[in-house]
Parts: sequence; structure tokens; C-alpha cells
Amino acid sequence: MNSADFIALLPLIVPALASVVLLLLITFSRSHAVSVLFTLGSLLLSFLLLFVAGGGTPRRVTPLFIMDAYSLFFIGLLFIAGIVVAVMSSRYLGERSMERGEYYVLLLLATLGASVLAAGSHFASFFAGLEILSVSLYTLIAYRRNDDRGNEAGLKYLILAAASSSFLLFGMALVYAQTGSMDFFQLAEGGRVPDLTVVLSAGLLLITVGVGFKLAVVPFHLWTPDVYEGAPAPVAAFIATSSKGAIFALLMRYFSLMDLQRFPAVWYGIAGIAVASMLIGNLLALRQNNLKRILAYSSIAHMGYLLVAVLAGGTVAKTAVGYYLAAYFATMLGAFGVIAFLSGEEGDAENLEAYRGMAWSRPWTAGVFVAMLLSLAGIPLTAGFIGKFYVVAAGAGAALWIPLIVLVAGSTIGLYYYLRIVAVLYGRVPEGEGGAVTGFPGRVLGMTGGILLTVLTFALLWLGVYPAPLIRILQATVARLVP
Amino acid sequence: MVPLEWYIGLSTVLFVIGVVGFLIRRNILIMLMSIELMLNSVNISLVAFSHYLQDLRGQVLVFFIITVAAAEAAIGLAILISLFRNKEAVHTDEMTEMKG
Amino acid sequence: MLPKIFFGYFAVVMVVLSLLIVTRKNPVHSVLWMLALFFHIAGLYLFLNAEFLAAVQVILYAGAILVLFLFVVMMLNLKEEVMGERFGKEWPVGISIGAFILVLFFFTINKFSQGPTGQYTIERIKAETHTKAIGSVLYTEFLLPFEIASLILLIAIVGAIVLAKKTK
Repeated sequence: MNSADFIALLPLIVPALASVVLLLLITFSRSHAVSVLFTLGSLLLSFLLLFVAGGGTPRRVTPLFIMDAYSLFFIGLLFIAGIVVAVMSSRYLGERSMERGEYYVLLLLATLGASVLAAGSHFASFFAGLEILSVSLYTLIAYRRNDDRGNEAGLKYLILAAASSSFLLFGMALVYAQTGSMDFFQLAEGGRVPDLTVVLSAGLLLITVGVGFKLAVVPFHLWTPDVYEGAPAPVAAFIATSSKGAIFALLMRYFSLMDLQRFPAVWYGIAGIAVASMLIGNLLALRQNNLKRILAYSSIAHMGYLLVAVLAGGTVAKTAVGYYLAAYFATMLGAFGVIAFLSGEEGDAENLEAYRGMAWSRPWTAGVFVAMLLSLAGIPLTAGFIGKFYVVAAGAGAALWIPLIVLVAGSTIGLYYYLRIVAVLYGRVPEGEGGAVTGFPGRVLGMTGGILLTVLTFALLWLGVYPAPLIRILQATVARLVP
Repeated sequence: MVPLEWYIGLSTVLFVIGVVGFLIRRNILIMLMSIELMLNSVNISLVAFSHYLQDLRGQVLVFFIITVAAAEAAIGLAILISLFRNKEAVHTDEMTEMKG
Repeated sequence: MLPKIFFGYFAVVMVVLSLLIVTRKNPVHSVLWMLALFFHIAGLYLFLNAEFLAAVQVILYAGAILVLFLFVVMMLNLKEEVMGERFGKEWPVGISIGAFILVLFFFTINKFSQGPTGQYTIERIKAETHTKAIGSVLYTEFLLPFEIASLILLIAIVGAIVLAKKTK
């Protein structure tokens, strides 16, 4: 490694060092504010260093990492998500008596793991990034350790994630045996990959199983609603966005280098997963009355929409994936942000009935929530609409008619349950003595909450009304993925 | 020399025993052990591949897998202790806090 | 012929041991069978000229991870475990999934073709010693994931302490 490599890797080195320094720092001062400010500062610094690192790109640092415009874009997105989650957590933890410093150490390391995935170009960095992300998430999910649901969710996630990693590793081992290489770029070189061998397809299918679990797509989705419900709201936001987005970035790179179209068994496997996720995710969401579980099923469906773009392949699809993920990040973070900021000490604000009539008592918060829900549903003028439009365009370009029909059908079902939440928000407040208290009286969002939700809403509308700048960035970065 | 296919066969059989153990046992401790079994079967195949490919990278990956297995076991057992302290539960069907 | 007999012994014993691990009622017995399995795996690594990994297998798996398991099994004190039901209700599903994977693999295995070989021949590893050879790969090409592995262990320490600590 020389100094240019070092500069290229700085955005990854800073959070790693910061986590260790923070761990030392909390032995001296357990002040919550110090931990929060340090975390935010180091994430912001890493984000700014992306522009420094961008000067020397594209650059391969050992065969394990590639710092090019594509990975820098996704790392930037992940750092922003990390900052948003840290702000949410500062309020959430501040109101509860839990160990606070360690939470931010784990959050920094989880963000680092996600960034390693986005920059990975080798099975070893894939595995290392995935595990640093998962191992810190196990602890973060079970962080409310006096809460049975938290422990249960953490254990469920751990057991299933560990089992799925062994599937992933078995797949990697088979691909390694067939090609003698673990390097994505070497796999892409002509002649290295024997065409259509059964063993290679089996290996790729096993990798798809492992990755499918992390993305929570049907039929590997069973953990999702339970983990979202049991995890603290900011951690659930992190799982829904960073953890999935990072794996998606890696998946997109891997499959475009391997040229997915050459492996029909894997292609049809992914197509089946996409169709099943779009249908089942949306159908199961209909029966839920818990907001976190609804968002969990909604995220399953959204991963299905994104997989349609992966199936399509090509430049338009890559732009679509980048745009969709940016929009999805803003929307999911906003939706979970509302839940996190409304959650009091007695438990997370997840029961749908507690929101009845909230639009009349706190119109702004309800308005933000409605904007997020409409974006999830893909209504015009929101970021979600443009994202979905791009995915449909990519799918139509590749003539994927069956997945597209399912996508439209799924979105229609989705509309129903998103609008059901909106109807509850604008519903009539039950009168009389018997009516439960709704709309979170006495709960203030605080300055952090107000600013964060306003910024996310503006981002959402801006992406929905004026998408051109982001699309230009994406076309300059993401689309030039294959060298 | 032993053919490489034998190693793949052995590691597949061990992997499947691990998967079946993971799917059918109720006790979470045994499920965690089944996961260790699955990881070990992957390790065997990686070491065998790297021996036959005359390439050490497979063995380096084994080194990382062992590290991660240790970390996962530590955290898994910590959560299990925390759960047992609250609920005295170590079976999958006793975990019924969340439904739907 | 002799290597095949050796392999046959290891294979048969390992399969029997892993069957014992997943079927024993008492978790302590499972842990002890696992100990025997790990020693056999270490033996197989020696057989594949991976001395360093054999040592790591014994020290880390048998010495650290299994002790942790044994410790927790003892701590949880599962007296009623020996009485209770061993398998979940859905055990036929589990076994059929396993059988399916097994059949699928034995159909693919004869299609196996090996990739291009690298530069670490057995003679070279023997001349360099295995520990030195693996170190020279680990600390050059794989330096960065090696650092990440150390962070994973840090998370494990922090996480285990935060989670298992008694509440005041």
C-alpha cells in the first residue's frame, strides 16, 4: 500500500479509527452529548473525505477494494443514512436509561461494514464487510435487553443470519473451486469463468440464498417483521436502509461483472424471488396493525421492485437502482424517523390505532408522515414515483413483461394499505370517556426531530419534482460500473 | 491421492447434517452448534480446494471464518443468557412475543 | 491406497460424530461430541498440508468456542431439557429440505471441473513452512480484511459485555 492507496481508503479508515477512539473516550466521559457529537463529527468528516478520495479514482486498493465513482456514491449515501440514524438515536437513547456510548461504537462499525460492502470487489471483503455489519446489528437489535421482544428479535436475527452466511460461504467456496479466484474483476475476465457449469450455477444460487436473506426477500423474509418490531426504531431504520442498500450495491456490481444473463438458472431464481417478494410482501402488509411490521413488509416489496432492475441489467437499470435506493433511503428514514421521535419511554409508537386523528392535533408531523407514505406508494411528485418510473423503464427496456405486471399489481395492493394509514391519520378522534388517548398528546419532537424530518421531507419532494441533478450524477458514476 | 470430489462429498454431507439439525431441533444451543457444524463443513471444503488449486487464499478465508464464528458464538450466547434471565426460555417454540 | 483409507476413516467418523451432535438430548453430550469432531477436522487439515490451520482449529474452536458453549450450557442448568421434546413439530419438513439439498448436490458433483491452479505448490509450502506462507498472503493481500476481523472481535467484546451485563 502506498500513500495514494491510503488516501483512497481514508473514508473507510476514519470510521474504523473513530470507533476505537470513541471506545476509549467513553472510559473517560460517559456523557451522551460527547458520544453523539463525536459520532456525528467523524461521520461528517468521512463524508467530506469522500471528495478527497474521489480525486484518485478509480483505484483498486489491493484486490479487495475498489474505490470508484460507483462505490463512492453508495458510501456517501450510507454515511448520510448513518448520520440520520445517529441523530434519531441521540433523542431515542437520551430518553431511556441504557448504555449510551457503546451504541454509537456499534453504529459507527455497522456503517463501516456497509461501506466496506459497497467498496468490496472480492469474496473476502464481501464476507468481512457483511459480518462486521451483521455482528454489530445483532447487538444493536437486542440493545433494549430488558425487553423480551428485543432479545427475541436479536436472537432470531443472529441464528438466521449465521445460517444464511454459511450458505453464502458454501456458494463462495464452490465458485472459488470452479474458477480458482475470489476476485470479482478476475471473474469478469474472459475465459476465466467456464460457461454454464452446473457447479458454478449451484454456487451462485447458494450465494443468492445468503444475500436474499440479508435483503429479506421472499422466501427468506420470515425474520423481517419480528426483527423490525423488536429492534429499537432507529436500529430498524438502519436495517431497512443501510444494511439492504449496501448489499444491493455489491450485488449489482457482482452480477454485472459476472454477466448474470449467462446463468439462466440463477436468473430465473432471482426472477422468482422478485415476483414472490412483490406479491407476498404487499399482501402480508394488508393484515397488519403494527406500523413497524407494515414498514417491514413494505420493505420486502420494495426489494422485489429493485430486483426487477437487477434482472434487466444494463445502464438504465443501474441508474434506476441508484435513484431508487436514494429515494428509498430518504423515505424509509423519514417514516422510521416519525416513529422514533414519537416513541416515548413506555415503548415505540408502533400501534396504528395510536395515530388515529393525529392530523388534527399535530398537522405538521402527520403531513411529514403522509409524504413518506405517499412516496413509498409511488405517488407522483414524490421521490418514490420517479424511482419506480425508472425501474419500470429499465424493465420495459429489457422486455420483462411478467415481472412488470406483478410490479404494477403489487403497487396497487400497496396503495391500499398506505392509504389506510393516511385514513387513520385523518380519521375522526373517538369521543367520550371510552376512547383511547391518541395522537401522542404532550409529545414534543424537539429541535433535532423538527429539523431532521423537515430536511428529509424536502429531500423527498426535491427528488420527486426535480430529479435531473441526481440523475446526472448517477449517469456519471453508477452507469460506468464495468471497466 | 484422494480425489477432490470426495472432499466435496464429505463437506456436503456435513453441511446437510448441519442444516437438518438447524431446522429440526428446538433447543437454541443445539441450533448454534449446528451453525458451527455448517461453517466447519465450509472450512473443510475451502481448505481442500485451496490445497488442490495450489492457492492459499481459500485458507486465508478459513481463518476469517473461524474469527467470525467465535464472534457470533460470543454474541449469540450473550443474548441467550439475557433472554434466559428474563424468560427462562431456550427453545424456539417458547419465543412467542411477536405474532402476525 | 493408504491416503484413501485415512480419508475413509476421517469421513466415516466425522459423519457419525455430526449425527450424534444434532441428535443428542443433552446439550453437554453434543458439546463433547463436537470436541471430538473438531479434533478430527484438525487431523484432516494436517492431511491437507495446512498445519497452521490445524493448530488454529484446535486452539480456537476446541479451546475457546467450545469452552464458551460448555460454560453457557452449565450456566443455564437445563435440568428439564432431558425430559422435554427433542425436535420441533416441523421435523419432516427439515429432513426433506436436507434430503433435497443432498440429492441436488450429488447430481452436480460429477460435473465438477477444477479451476486454474495457483503458485503455491505443495513443495513450495513445504520449503517455506505453512505458517510463513499463509502469513505472507495474510499480511499483504489480505491485510485490510485482517484489520476488519480485529474490529469484528472488538464488536463481539463490546456486544457481549453490553448484553450479558446484569441490570442494576
